[in-house]
Amino acid sequence: MSLRLFDLSACFEGVIPSIIATASADGTPNISYLSHVVRVDDDHVALSNQFFAKTAANIRANTQVTLILVDGFTGDQFLLDIEFVRSVDIGPLFDKIALQLKASSAQVGMSEVMRLRSADIFRVHRIEKVPSPVPTTPAPSREPISLPALAEAIRAIEGQVEADEIIDNLLCGVRHVLGYRHALVLIRDGDRGCWVTTGSIGYEHSGLGSEIASGDGLIGAAAASRQTIKVNDMSRLRRFGEAIGTEAEMSEDATRVVAFPRLPLAMSQIAVPMAARGAVTGVLFIESVERLAFREEDEAALEILAGQAASALRVGEQAAVAQAAQVLPALRPASDGREIRVVHHRVDDSVFVDGTYIVKGVAGALLCLMLQWHLKDGRDAFTNREMRLALGGRTPEIKDNLETRLLLLRRRLEEKQAPIQIVRIGRGRVRLQAGGRLTIDAARE
Amino acid sequence: MAVRLDDKLLEFFKRPLMCIIAAASAAGRPSVGRGVGFDVLDDKETLDVVFSAWQWPRLEADIRQTGRIAATFVSPSDYVSFQLKGNATLQDTAARDLDHAERFIMAATEELASLGVPRSIIAPWLTAREARVARIAVREIYVQTPGPLAGMLAGARSQ
Repeated sequence: MSLRLFDLSACFEGVIPSIIATASADGTPNISYLSHVVRVDDDHVALSNQFFAKTAANIRANTQVTLILVDGFTGDQFLLDIEFVRSVDIGPLFDKIALQLKASSAQVGMSEVMRLRSADIFRVHRIEKVPSPVPTTPAPSREPISLPALAEAIRAIEGQVEADEIIDNLLCGVRHVLGYRHALVLIRDGDRGCWVTTGSIGYEHSGLGSEIASGDGLIGAAAASRQTIKVNDMSRLRRFGEAIGTEAEMSEDATRVVAFPRLPLAMSQIAVPMAARGAVTGVLFIESVERLAFREEDEAALEILAGQAASALRVGEQAAVAQAAQVLPALRPASDGREIRVVHHRVDDSVFVDGTYIVKGVAGALLCLMLQWHLKDGRDAFTNREMRLALGGRTPEIKDNLETRLLLLRRRLEEKQAPIQIVRIGRGRVRLQAGGRLTIDAARE
Repeated sequence: MAVRLDDKLLEFFKRPLMCIIAAASAAGRPSVGRGVGFDVLDDKETLDVVFSAWQWPRLEADIRQTGRIAATFVSPSDYVSFQLKGNATLQDTAARDLDHAERFIMAATEELASLGVPRSIIAPWLTAREARVARIAVREIYVQTPGPLAGMLAGARSQ
């Protein structure tokens, strides 16, 4: 049976470099490694043309090219006779290759060196398997994705309006439908130009409240490009990653920075944009200790789940806005005389409770707002709507994502076992619970 | 004109390396394979490169037909790479060539494994089965390390 490009899917992950051989018009051969080959369709491949000049010149002078592709699971090698057809330097195919190149060159630590100029399209004439001197180890077999389970996960997300339940159901789907154990949901904070971890499963330290600057790494690139990006073999990068993390965790109170969670032995990572109506509001990020953990079908399923969650979050925000303003009951007096000292840093809206860093940005501003209202008129229950109105002038973006900021605040208070907690008491309403007498101070910077 | 490997290149050739080879048929169709051993001859202008004709029969046929060859050597840990071009003739394989292959395969496997590549994946790439030796009279040497020097000539012009 003749081989098809479809049979070579594990060769297109950029894990093991491909090899390209060309010949000049006078028949002088040239050979080099090639970082990425993309399957365009059953008959064509595209090569990232960050070629050396000689390769590029040869291809134009002599369109016959020979490739070696390597299966990232088994090590099997394949010889391909291909012929140059055309070059693209713009459009969806170019964008796809540029993104994959960025991810795959990052995974070998060469992201600054490899810049895509254009992508070259080749027709594949012949594929031949190179004999192996040893029996190759078959790729680990994984069950196909259960469509009924995926449909069930989508329904579970769709049925929610509260941000916490939407995010929890998304992560639950990632865990149970696809079997990934380590996942994060990051929500956009446009005011501060970053992505904030708002949901987390599987990590020793949840990383809730940790941030990724816009445009940084896989997460930033996936958000900016609105495309899923993955790396499938981080064996060369993880050594650098292992040392980072615990130090940052310990210094949280000094730096007001929550350490980004890490899976020290991660071999594969994927970042899936969460987009609704064309706007990316979050990123689903997953790690695995397995090489090549994300197949094409896994990517597709994750995109479906992430898209559903983004839509549900959007609907949830709209539902919360629509809640009628309602006078909520006055608070019960604080239970005991113990003082709870809250410090607010205006410069970044970071908030400390009894010396422990809780959160910053809009989530911090929300906590201060509730505390100020509480101290002023004794209320302990608040509507999302009134918070939206109070902060809307300062942070216009809050109209789209107040729910997720409140969720982050609630979860950080829970995680830190703070003497102040925020609990949800109905759609669009929360209650402030304080285990003592509150004071709030503005910090001098 | 022949090119002599300079001291920098001779040092480079002492490192654990991977090697890839290309030739071309008379019709200009490139062929390709992996080198699994090499030896720099005393004149420093000639290099013997071992490859498996069992894995790469087209490469053998093209070298025999046209003698045009290119071989790129890369250090996997830092991507430092050089490409040598020249004319090759196929030589009889001697015991010392097989020794070179054995040492090369062992060093390359250890190097790649230390970088996290599973040994089960490396094993299919490196074999000296039906070993052949291409003796290359080096005519050109190019830097092929990704970066600003890529494509520059390396080595020393012979007098």
